[in-house]
Amino acid sequence: MSKSIPPKPREVTRVGELLLTKRILVCCGAGGVGKTTTAAALSLAAARAGRRVLVLTIDPSKRLAETLGVSRNPPEPVAVPAERQALAGIVAPATLEAWMLDHKLVADSAVRRLTKTKEEAERVLANRLYQQISSMVAGMHEYTAMEALHRLVQSGRYDLVVLDTPPSRHALDFLEAPRRLSRLVDTRVISAFMPKSDGIVSRAASKVIERVLGAVFGEDFAAEFVGFVATFAGIFQSLSVDVNTMRKFLSGPDVAFLLVSSPAPTTLTEAHFFQDKTRELGLPFRAFVLNRSRALNVRKRLPELSMIDGGAAAGSPLRRGMEKLQAMAKTELEWANRDLALLRDLETRAGDNATAIALPELPQGADDMGTLISVADVLASS
Amino acid sequence: MPLDSLFKKRIVLITGKGGVGRSAVTAALGHSAARRGVRVLVCDIGDDPADYSPLARYFGRDRLPIGCEPLVPGVRGVVLLARTGQELFLRTALHSSTLARAALSSDALRRLLSAGPSFREMGVFFQLLNYLRAVRRDGELEHPLILVDMPATGHTLSLTGLPELLLRLMPRGPIATALRDGQSYLNDPERAAAWVVTLPETLPVSEALELLGGLEETAMPIGGVIVNRIPADPYTAAERAALKPLLAEHDVLGGEGFRRPELAARETARLRAGTRVPIYTLPELDHEGLVLALTEEIEKKRRLRPSMRP
Repeated sequence: MSKSIPPKPREVTRVGELLLTKRILVCCGAGGVGKTTTAAALSLAAARAGRRVLVLTIDPSKRLAETLGVSRNPPEPVAVPAERQALAGIVAPATLEAWMLDHKLVADSAVRRLTKTKEEAERVLANRLYQQISSMVAGMHEYTAMEALHRLVQSGRYDLVVLDTPPSRHALDFLEAPRRLSRLVDTRVISAFMPKSDGIVSRAASKVIERVLGAVFGEDFAAEFVGFVATFAGIFQSLSVDVNTMRKFLSGPDVAFLLVSSPAPTTLTEAHFFQDKTRELGLPFRAFVLNRSRALNVRKRLPELSMIDGGAAAGSPLRRGMEKLQAMAKTELEWANRDLALLRDLETRAGDNATAIALPELPQGADDMGTLISVADVLASS
Repeated sequence: MPLDSLFKKRIVLITGKGGVGRSAVTAALGHSAARRGVRVLVCDIGDDPADYSPLARYFGRDRLPIGCEPLVPGVRGVVLLARTGQELFLRTALHSSTLARAALSSDALRRLLSAGPSFREMGVFFQLLNYLRAVRRDGELEHPLILVDMPATGHTLSLTGLPELLLRLMPRGPIATALRDGQSYLNDPERAAAWVVTLPETLPVSEALELLGGLEETAMPIGGVIVNRIPADPYTAAERAALKPLLAEHDVLGGEGFRRPELAARETARLRAGTRVPIYTLPELDHEGLVLALTEEIEKKRRLRPSMRP
């Protein structure tokens, strides 16, 4: 369709276009809304359109890994097997790779990369505390996802990286959490705990800290814990800069944030919260994806008596069944209208720089390649 | 174990993945407890006091209060915040409010603590413990029943597995003491239970089975599973058989409602085959007036034994 050229460049506001133009798509959303499937379908659509794509997902379902034909938790991204790519209509040089990763694995590989010697790496990895708590240190999960994203985008191997963020109650948790880690690896904080600190004031402060940690964690553990944090933080120190770099990098023009949600009474509240928060953080919010929506059902026909060949005798099972079906169809039309109204609200909310689209509910258990392709097609044409 | 047993516990964790109606079920259980005259405290777990809470919405609020307050007659509510619990813990562990204040005013120390092993979960755990221990002036328990709307599957396991994990790291000290005290509640089948809420659909059932497996590895007693939103099935077998060819030919409205009960029955059967814990079902209800309708359903169910295996 031809339109007059707008006076100033506007943001891309079609999901089908975001797929073709952006370098990073970040899919956010609460758990249980079908975020991973949406991320996979977005990547598939972009690869089908000729791009080299990586989908990065954390703790994905077994089924999705099976659908894509990749193993879970490999040390590096893996290509979807050639025959499946061919089946999905992906033609070289376009590719689809997936990395279904595990926090521990990414943390381990970060330790290996950041330590100066192999011995140092092994020492950290073998540390009793590291093994128990590396995945429990606040912000570690989210941090590792961001770190992997940054590295893979910089590698230049992909035209597009789609990130499926870790499940959390709040869509933007994954952006907030790394702050906690970066605050810890702040040099000034670490030096406060180091015995070699000089000056009477800092020694006095260390005494208080020693007492507090001893009282909180118990004497034996406190010393071990501080020792561990110092080593760990030493390794991750260079990354504390990266959290800010990454934040900046995610605010860039090549990035689009999408909120995936499903129709629920809290959907609008969540959408408001997400949009305000992205604005506050200066992140490019571009689309609401309303998953499992019945909005598209408004196009479906109502069942009519004429569909029964030659009619059926009143009181026959077919006739009675048909009457029940018609009653249920009315309810389903109400649902469809309600979801459509929600979609319209989201569209209004999205404003000029973003969009809102609806995806249908997938048939139960049908997360095979065929279904994924059909979702990809809906995305590509939205 | 009848559903009624749930109201006789001290603490019940309501778990399950997002989107299964966990908060609505928690709210309905809260109302149901109040109707029976059990003083109940409903909680959810938050990171930030400004976050909205799905549970609070069912009590007509945006968020739950930071200190426990009545929400409706008979039901009190509170959001469990790591920070609040940590402060409480420090005051108790340090036996000195001066030292606790010093500790909390040290930015470096606060940062170190907040990144400590499970220190965030520990804050929640300690706050919960405090509500469990609270006694009124007349000697009665302040909160005879505490219902916790658990945020996500992973969090449930990190909270229930917390004592074992941390005790291995820190066998002595104030944390260890608090953890052992917490264990005496959480691992006691008379006083505690985890209930899993799920939907009669493929992925939620698989995930519920995984969660049950994970819970069995911790010492947390499992109460049972609540399968939420079982779709109504108005059709007789003969009507189903007669309509099937028609619906295979035409993609019409009403088709979804025709197919869903079969899928729900299949998935509920798969859940039954995969676990030995009691299973209850709740019907699919409209968003409007959801919690009151769910409460009625729970009232109908609470004297019943779990539905029998087919």
